[in-house]
Amino acid sequence: MTPSSKHPFHPALLTWPALASAGLLALSGCSVANSDGGTAAASTVRVVLGQEPPTLEACESNLTSTGVVVRSNVTEPLIERNPQTGELEPKLATEWKATSGTEWTLKLREGVTFQDGTPFNAEAAAFTIDRAVNSKLGCNVEGYVFGDADLQVKAVDATTLTVTTPEPDPILPLRLSFLEVVPVSTSTTEKVREPIGTGPYKIEKWDAGQKISLTSWDGYWGDKPAYAKAEYQWRSESSVRAAMITSGEADVAMGLSPDDNMGDLGIDYPNNETVALRLDANEAPLNDIRVRQAINFAIDKEGIVNSLYQGKHQVAAQLVPEGIVGHNPELKGWAFDLDKAKDLVSQAKADGVDTSAQISLVVRSAQFPKITELAQVLQEQLSQAGLNVKLKMLETSQHLTYQVRPFADDEGAVALMTQHGNQAGDAAFTVDQYMLSTGAQSYFGTPEFDAMIKKADAASGDERKKDFEEIFAYQNDKVVQFAHISHQTGIIGKAKSVNYTPNSSSGDELRVSEMTPAS
Amino acid sequence: MLIYLRKRILSSALPLVVVIVGVFALARMTGNPASLYLPLNATQQMRDEFTARNGFDQPLLVQMADYFGGVLRLDFGQSLRTGQDAAAMALRAFPATLQLAATTMVLAVLLALVVGCWAALKPNGIADRISSFVSMAAASIPDFWLAIVGIWVFAITLGWLPTSGVSGASAWVLPIATLLLRPFGVLVQIVRGSMVSALSEPYIKLARSRGAGELRVVTHHALRNAAAPALTVAGDLTVGLVNGAVVVETIFGWPGIGKLMIDSILQRDFAVLQAAVLLTAVAIFALNILIDMGYALLDARVRPVTARA
Repeated sequence: MTPSSKHPFHPALLTWPALASAGLLALSGCSVANSDGGTAAASTVRVVLGQEPPTLEACESNLTSTGVVVRSNVTEPLIERNPQTGELEPKLATEWKATSGTEWTLKLREGVTFQDGTPFNAEAAAFTIDRAVNSKLGCNVEGYVFGDADLQVKAVDATTLTVTTPEPDPILPLRLSFLEVVPVSTSTTEKVREPIGTGPYKIEKWDAGQKISLTSWDGYWGDKPAYAKAEYQWRSESSVRAAMITSGEADVAMGLSPDDNMGDLGIDYPNNETVALRLDANEAPLNDIRVRQAINFAIDKEGIVNSLYQGKHQVAAQLVPEGIVGHNPELKGWAFDLDKAKDLVSQAKADGVDTSAQISLVVRSAQFPKITELAQVLQEQLSQAGLNVKLKMLETSQHLTYQVRPFADDEGAVALMTQHGNQAGDAAFTVDQYMLSTGAQSYFGTPEFDAMIKKADAASGDERKKDFEEIFAYQNDKVVQFAHISHQTGIIGKAKSVNYTPNSSSGDELRVSEMTPAS
Repeated sequence: MLIYLRKRILSSALPLVVVIVGVFALARMTGNPASLYLPLNATQQMRDEFTARNGFDQPLLVQMADYFGGVLRLDFGQSLRTGQDAAAMALRAFPATLQLAATTMVLAVLLALVVGCWAALKPNGIADRISSFVSMAAASIPDFWLAIVGIWVFAITLGWLPTSGVSGASAWVLPIATLLLRPFGVLVQIVRGSMVSALSEPYIKLARSRGAGELRVVTHHALRNAAAPALTVAGDLTVGLVNGAVVVETIFGWPGIGKLMIDSILQRDFAVLQAAVLLTAVAIFALNILIDMGYALLDARVRPVTARA
């Protein structure tokens, strides 16, 4: 290196930024690395989600972010649950019945073809069940729907399938509604990011990080959908998702908040989610039922619903909303009665309960709209009743250590804010988890209560309904592990150019075939 | 120069290892991600299977040794979230961030040079006061707030720009404008400061007395001496852009490494987080070496003594 000029540096150095920026823009052609520009045709419906699906693997489709794209669009189940009526309806299976205590026989639809051209038959149905439930894949749906029970499946002939359970299972058809059918060519050793199904749309392209495009499939056995294409993008901020509807960049936006002020571009729908405090009765002061009752009396549920949620949520008296088998329509939310709450706390105190012991109110930040405000209101209202409440806002992963067994070892009593959505439509999916003494998300129970739950799980029909209704009533009278707050309402943003009516399962399964262009 | 370069690369290797070990250990201190990846009602058996499958039941040192063994074979592990190769995910996201950061930085430097010179011509004059106010504001406005306001004004109210996304040239405007403000604000003040002192140097008076035009004096004489500190600081600010990219990419849906990192952290997707951090760290070290070498080229005083002498 020899200095060639008497100046400290060469003037050419000053021109590099200009050159570099021109070069950069030329290189990029003004397009982001690995993106394609382009706009959607009118025959395309554009959906914006809160997050990119981690995978579109069919056996993970009970995950909201996966299912919202895959279910009933790309793949289809044997049986499906009608979210409005709660009834099971035929899809790839046309009929099903219990042929013995532990065996179910299903008749399958004929003339159905997979998107790769192979025929759908009993072999494919059996393969799907085996792959999702009996394999080592570690499918999410296995844990959610079947636990550790393995199923025996047999293709009797091309259109007949038998499924045998280890124990009698009155809701097996409902469980089967969670399995999205895939062809026998699907890998059994690893999960498949882009599945093949029998649905009205096939996956056209997945630009990782940016966009998923579905295109309608000519060989579909059912009615041709109105939109030829569906495009999914994702934005983490609900305000941005809302803005995309307003600015005409998207037709449907999922998971909006009341703060987004969508006006008539926002549609409210009951989303099956219920918010409640789960109370840890293993620690003072929550180990006294009077304190747990006091918490229920101290929360002004009406006030919360009206002030934070514009009156759109419903005050809850149980963990499942109307429409779930086992919901008890007789139950009314606890009255808001601060004097009674104070009185119960002082009674407990008089009997030697340490009512000044700290209760940690554990809350997951950003779990749903206005959650921080709700947590602050609850902390204030419980303090008014004479309890010592400390607010702990955590992110998802930490919150889960409190939500699921083995529970985080906290220094004292925990009141956990939980948002529970029963996607399956049957109270067993709630009660086994949250109310059995050993439930994965339950702090405690009683032997008598456990017996009631076991009985309900094995019952069917009207008896099953009645058993679960009694369980929800008993919880409120004798157990009081929960202080229920509200059944929530979700908001979907929708452009005027699209006709679509959301229902309670839209958040988990957004059927593009139910969308039509507004003329 | 080559010897100098080799020395710099070797001295960067150790901090790189420290960064990886740190991220690796801190990530695992947050606990087992099983509950994030399994259904809430998964059985203990499923938890155990998940833990064993991903090696989370091994002692930390064993896990780390395994990881470094993989790195030496260029195997950076797989994403828990997507099942894809972690290095491929990081490499795919990196160019988008690089484009955003480079374009932003180039524009920030150019704008800051113009505004800073303009302000320095008449210290404490009107232009100086305006630019000082603007640059202070620019350097201190929170990017998150600015991004949302930008969307509201330019995408919703005026309809000039898309809210977010990556299609078309107009999609670049809001993310770049958001990311640009801080470095621009800082650089204006640096340029102004060094220009004010450069313009009071005797050789400038000499140039003026010889009848050189004002523009020529500024661009040809003063700027040469004033630009070096600005370019050095610009390098450091580029490193800071990685932080800005996290916010900007998250809001605007820009498929870059910032968003990938934040998603990996929230999802405890260790392998992807490690790959993204490693890639970013390497890029930052490379950038620092370039800055130092550029500086050595600019200024003979810091030039390393080579063995040629």
